[in-house]
Order: sequence, then structure tokens, then C-alpha cells
Amino acid sequence: MPALLQVVDVVQEYPGVRALKGVSLELAPGQVLGLVGENGAGKSTLIRVLGGIEQPVSGSVLVGGTERTFRSSAESQAAGISVVSQEFRLVPQLSVADNVFLGHELTGAGVVDRGRTRRRTAELLDQLGLDLDPDRPVSSLTVGDRQMVEIARALSREFDVLIMDEPTAALNGAETLRLHEIVRRIAAQGKAVVYVSHHLDEIFDICGDVAVLRDGALVAHAPTAELDEARLVEHMLGRKPQTFERAGSTSDEGAARLEVVGLRVPGVAEPFDLTVRGGEIVGLAGLVGSGRTELTRALFGDLTSAGEIRVDGKPVRLTNPREAVRSGVFMLSEDRKGEGILPHLDVTENAMVSRDRSSLPLLRRLFPVPADESAQFSRLRADMRIRVPHGRQLIGNLSGGNQQKVLLGRALLSGCAVLLLNEPTRGVDVGAKVDIYQLIKQLADAGVAVVVSSSDAPELAAIADRCAVYFAGRRVAELHGRDVTEDNIVGASVGQTAQEATHV
Amino acid sequence: MSDTTLAATSTADLVADERARSAELARRADSRRNLLQNAGVMVPFVLVLVAGIAAVPNFASGSNVTNMLVNAAILAIVGYGMTLVIAVRGIDLSVGSAQALAACIAASVVNSAGPLVGAVVGIGVGAGLGLLNGVIATRLRVPGFIATLSTMSVFRGFVLLFTGGAPIMIASGGFKSVATASVLGIPLPFVIAVVIGVGAWFALDRMRFGKHVVAVGGSPEAAVDTGISVSRVILLSYLASGAAAGVGGVLLASQLGVVNGSVASGLELQAIAIVVLGGTSMAGGRPRIVGTFVAALLLSMINSGLNLLNVPSFYQYVALGALLVFALSIDGAQRAAVRRMLEGRLS
Repeated sequence: MPALLQVVDVVQEYPGVRALKGVSLELAPGQVLGLVGENGAGKSTLIRVLGGIEQPVSGSVLVGGTERTFRSSAESQAAGISVVSQEFRLVPQLSVADNVFLGHELTGAGVVDRGRTRRRTAELLDQLGLDLDPDRPVSSLTVGDRQMVEIARALSREFDVLIMDEPTAALNGAETLRLHEIVRRIAAQGKAVVYVSHHLDEIFDICGDVAVLRDGALVAHAPTAELDEARLVEHMLGRKPQTFERAGSTSDEGAARLEVVGLRVPGVAEPFDLTVRGGEIVGLAGLVGSGRTELTRALFGDLTSAGEIRVDGKPVRLTNPREAVRSGVFMLSEDRKGEGILPHLDVTENAMVSRDRSSLPLLRRLFPVPADESAQFSRLRADMRIRVPHGRQLIGNLSGGNQQKVLLGRALLSGCAVLLLNEPTRGVDVGAKVDIYQLIKQLADAGVAVVVSSSDAPELAAIADRCAVYFAGRRVAELHGRDVTEDNIVGASVGQTAQEATHV
Repeated sequence: MSDTTLAATSTADLVADERARSAELARRADSRRNLLQNAGVMVPFVLVLVAGIAAVPNFASGSNVTNMLVNAAILAIVGYGMTLVIAVRGIDLSVGSAQALAACIAASVVNSAGPLVGAVVGIGVGAGLGLLNGVIATRLRVPGFIATLSTMSVFRGFVLLFTGGAPIMIASGGFKSVATASVLGIPLPFVIAVVIGVGAWFALDRMRFGKHVVAVGGSPEAAVDTGISVSRVILLSYLASGAAAGVGGVLLASQLGVVNGSVASGLELQAIAIVVLGGTSMAGGRPRIVGTFVAALLLSMINSGLNLLNVPSFYQYVALGALLVFALSIDGAQRAAVRRMLEGRLS
């Protein structure tokens, strides 16, 4: 049988980075190929090339045996490739039906056939097991439903190859199972599916073959039956996985540094209660859209909220991030590039920007002494094992892991009592992950109350002393000590168990 | 196992509950937005109407009403084009100059080749200028604001060169009668504005092009991902804006009978004011043709009222600027209110 889709030696480069180093792949009709790899391994770049969003530097893409160049996503779609992208790419102002058929509207002489659009959308949603009015504006949907609409859009096109980039990041257990059913059905029709997921059990469930990308190169391509999870992880990492050992459990005696009572946040169903002691690391787990991100942002004054927050016993009102920092609360955003680093400043300036200067003499506050700052930075560099040649290095040129270390240094220098971390190791290479866990632990041991919000269950299992799991805007489980395991976190996140674990 | 079924139902309940919450929140945000948008234009409209009838002599007289309707019609037509451009997150500052150039060329062609040819050429000139704006904004990648700020000056220069500073008298009585003719007692330009408005509303609400406009303005990334040619939609929007300015220019020439190089100066500010006052958000993705139409009537009433009260034109500039600030603050308040409602659900 001829291959439906062939990728031959595709190379893609960004300024300073070789994102794809000559990747070749083949997809046969009826094949479900799992595409796995760490963050930054090149999966998304490959998908963007296939989707026509980016043009590769060299190499070719063949559809049904003929070479094709995609200058836009329209051309890729015309060639029979349909992509479910990882980011939410819906137009909030348009209705569900209009979004599903956006770009390939059902029209007569340019006029949208609303009846047919609505009917076809209802059929597609029905297939996905979603009872949703096609006329609802997308802005009124939950994050999970938006993901489903995005999948419905991909299915609404004529396609031979379906590419799904982390389609289940926002889906609950039942929805995920239904999606798997649909993927199998599509494959049975002789179409090919590329399925990207971080959840390896998903890959083993539905994929016949698996391809592993690492640092922009294809390092393994084999039938899933020939692999087990440990081997797959080894391929992804390029070595045996390193485990982070927690150095014993923290004592229960530390004083509460952060107390939150009845905090109400728009979009989150329940008032939020949380007490974090100094030295403690509390995890917030849940699917994308479960409400955990909103909670950390509210605690940083980035979202309007009502309720009682006390830092070190003192009541504080957090209406903006500036006040939060002054009150001793510091947050590192999940969007490190957009909301974390100051890319045009060097690492020293990046680390010093939030420094607590209240103990410095007035003149030093107004005119920072370069020698003093670089001394501070040298200390930081040694403490945090930041790999930079010198303090004048621009932060934008560092790896994700090193950037994150600088930002953790920034948090340390701010003298915060409470540190909120969102996805602390997103886009961080594997080697640096363990370093970052150690730094977080170090910060906690220094008496900081740490709250980590993450979609990475193994990460929370590795570092959190306690973990609250959110589902659909509610806390569905609270795990303590030994119960903080990957299985428990994932189970509760997708809604497999709604019983609350025992409180201490 | 009763335990798992229990868990399953409560999971489903949680999901259903979240859906309901999300829908309710969006409904409240929507109604808040609609309230602000409608009140933003309807309250001043009623106030000005009542005040005009009560306090301004001759405000409701037949000739003044006709005059207001014709002025509103020309403004509304230009406003439709501006609505489109603002809906795709652009702005067209050159509409005044484009209208002037269209009016002057139309006037001179009317004199040499007849009314019909003159009208067609005038509209064509407007469309051509709009196309030029679109090409500069999309092909040369100059931000729309700067591109049209530049062409505003360029086009105005062209008009002055074309007219040599002298007024052009239109000889054709037939051409001039377009602006004064009426259908069932309604001035013809007003009828034209309503017809074009209905067409624009239909194109935006029911046609493929309209969906693409909303997509490009509402979420450009989504538009790119779904295979919409963003630059084509933006190009067409500028083209439509230029063509609308051309239609307005022809009607203006017909209304005035004599045109010169400085007509329609400051029109861009009026057009932006009515579009934003009408509820089209500067943030893009929400075109509101009906709002633009109502706001055009409002602005026309304000201008006429101030004229009848013999308020010096200096004050009219102040009034127009104040109106624009008011409109933009409503737009800002509306967005802030919606953000407060929806905050946190979108990230």
C-alpha cells in the first residue's frame, strides 16, 4: 500500500535553534502513529510544518506519493491534512457552528447555509457525545467543551490524515475514552492518525506505532507492541529516567505563612481555602481549565477575587501584582517567555528586578551599584547552578531551564514569604528538571511557603507534600504524604473519583 | 459496583454544573455588553433628539430634517466601511481625503462625460484608493494607522493638485438632483444609505466574508489556522472602506453642487466616532452596522443643532472630540466589564 503521508528529511530552523534536524516519517492508511517526546523536542514544529503554518528550511512532504509544498494551512487542508492544534484556536465571538465550519463554510453564492451548518455541527457534536446547542457563542463554553469543538472542526473537514496535538489535555476521563473510540473508527476507515500525547498509557492504548522525537531528531520508530513504557521513556530522555528523591517529609510544626479563607474567584465554583506552612510544598493538580491556574493568579492579585488572605498572619488585600509582591507573594507564570523573562535585559538585571531593596540605604536603592549586583548574581549563580558564562549574558539566549533558574533567583531575592509556581518545568529540558525541583525544595527549606500548580502529575508526585486536585472548578480530592502519587493525581484530575480523600 | 457509579454520576454532575456556570457567566457578560453598547448610543440619541426638538428653533422643520438625513446618510455610508476596517483591527484615517478626491474627480467627470459616468468614476476612484491602503497595509506590512495617516496626506495633496485650489462647479442639474430627490418623502441618499447598510449587515452576518471578518478581528491566530487568508480579508476591508468613501464623495458632490480641494476634512474623526459610538469595539471582531447607522444620525443631529444655534464651528470641533472620547470610554468600560465577568475562564 502506498504511504498516505511521507515526511522526508525535513529540517526547520529558528534563529539560533535547529528545531528539526532532518526528520523522516511515513504514514500508511489505517495507521495510528503516536508521536512522543519531551517539551521542545520538535513535535509541535513538525505539526506546524505539516499543517502549513510554517515552511521547512529543507526537506519535503509527500501526500499520496506526490510532493507538496504548503504555503498556508488552507493548502495543507486541501491536501487532506486536518490538524487539532494544542492551543485553543477558536473565535470567541462566533457560534459553535460557525467555528466548526470556519474556513470551509457551507455556502451558496457566498451566503452561509445556516440550517445545514447547524445540522452538520449537531451531527458532529453528537458523534463526540456532546450535547451542545450549535448556536451558543464559543465564549460561553467551558475549556473542555472548547477542546471538543476544536476536534469537531478537524473532523468536519475532508481529510486523509488527522493530526491531534495533545487533544486530551483538557478532557475528562469519559471524554477521553470517547475520543479514543473515534480515533479507532477513523483508522478503520483507512485514514491515518498522528496522535501526540504526554500520557503514555494513551499512546499504548490506541497507537499501533510510536515515533519518538528528541532534540529535533527522530530517535525511535517502532510498533508499540515492541516497546514498554520504561523503554519509551528512555528513548524520550536519551537515558534512564532520573528520579528526584524527596528528603523526608516536612514537619507539621512550621508556622502558617499563607492562609486563604473563602476566596471566591470568578469562574471557580467553590470558595477556596488553603493553608500553607513555611517549608511546605503544596501542589494544585487538574486538567487544563479546571480552575487551578485562576487560583494562583487570584492569589497574585492578577484576578479580581473576594475573600480573606493572610500572609504571615497579617491580612492582605491583593488587587494587583505590585501589592502582592509587597505583601510577600511572588508568582512565576506558566508563560515564561511572555510574562516571565525580560528578554532584552541580561541575567543580572533579570534576577535583580524584583529584589527587596527596603534594607538598602536610600542612595543604593536609587542607584544600584553594579559591583554589588554582580556579586549578588555570582552568589546566585553558584547557589542555583545557573549555567551562564557571565552576568551580562542576555537571558533570551539561555535554555528554558536556565531561564527558569534565573527567575527562581528573582523570586528568592524578592524575599517572598509565599511563592506561587505555574508549570515550573514547562519547556525545561529533562536534565534541568531535577535541578529545578531541588531549587524549589531548597526555597521551601529556607522557609518559603510554595504552591505549585502543574498539569504534570509525576512532577507533583515528586515534589509536593500535599496536593489538591481540581476538577470542573471544584476541589475533588486532597492528597497527603504517601497518597501523593501519579496515579491518584491523574485519577482525580480526569474525574475518575470524586470522593474526597480524608482530611488531616 | 455502586461506588464507581456514584463517582461517575457526581463527575457528570460536576461537569454539568461547570457548563451551566460558564454559560451563565457568558450570558451575563453578553447582556452587560449589549446594555452598554445600546445605552451608549441610544441614550444620547434620545437626549439630543428631545433637546433638539424642544430647544432648537427650526430643528424639526422639513428642510432641516431633510438636511440632517442627507448628512447622516453620507456619514453612515463612510461609517460602514470604517466599521469593517475597525472590525479587522485596522483603522482608516484617509477616508476624508479619499472622499474629497472622489468628489472632485466625480465632479469634473460629470461635467465632461455625464452624471452616470461621473458617479461610477467617483466610486471607482474611492475603491482604488482603498485598494492602495490595503496593499500598503498588507503587502508592505505598514501598520494600518500609519499607512492611512500617510495616505491621508497623500490623497489630500492629490485633490489640491487636481483642483489647483479652485472650486469645481457641477453643471448637470440631474446629478445635483440626486441629493435632493426623494422617494415617498424620504431623501434618496438616505434610502441609498439604508440599502447599503442592509447589504453590509447581510454580508457581515450571513455571508462567508463576514465570518472571516469576525475571525480575523476576533482571533487572527484562529483565522490563520483555519486557512483563512488574513491579508486578503484585511485588503478587502480597506477596499470596501475606500469604495464607501467614494460613494459618500459622489453624494457629497451632488449635495454641494460645488466642490473644492478641502471638502470632507476631518471626516475620519467623525467616521471613527460614529463607528465606536455604535458599539463596534476597537479591539476587533464585533462589527455593528446598525449601531453605526444610528450613531450617524446622532452626530448629524448634533452638528445641525449646533449650526442652528449659531454655535461657532470652533466649538463643534470640541464637541466632536468630546464625543469621540465618550465613545471610546464606553468601549473601554464595556471591555473592562466583560473582562471582569469572564476573567480567568479564558486562560
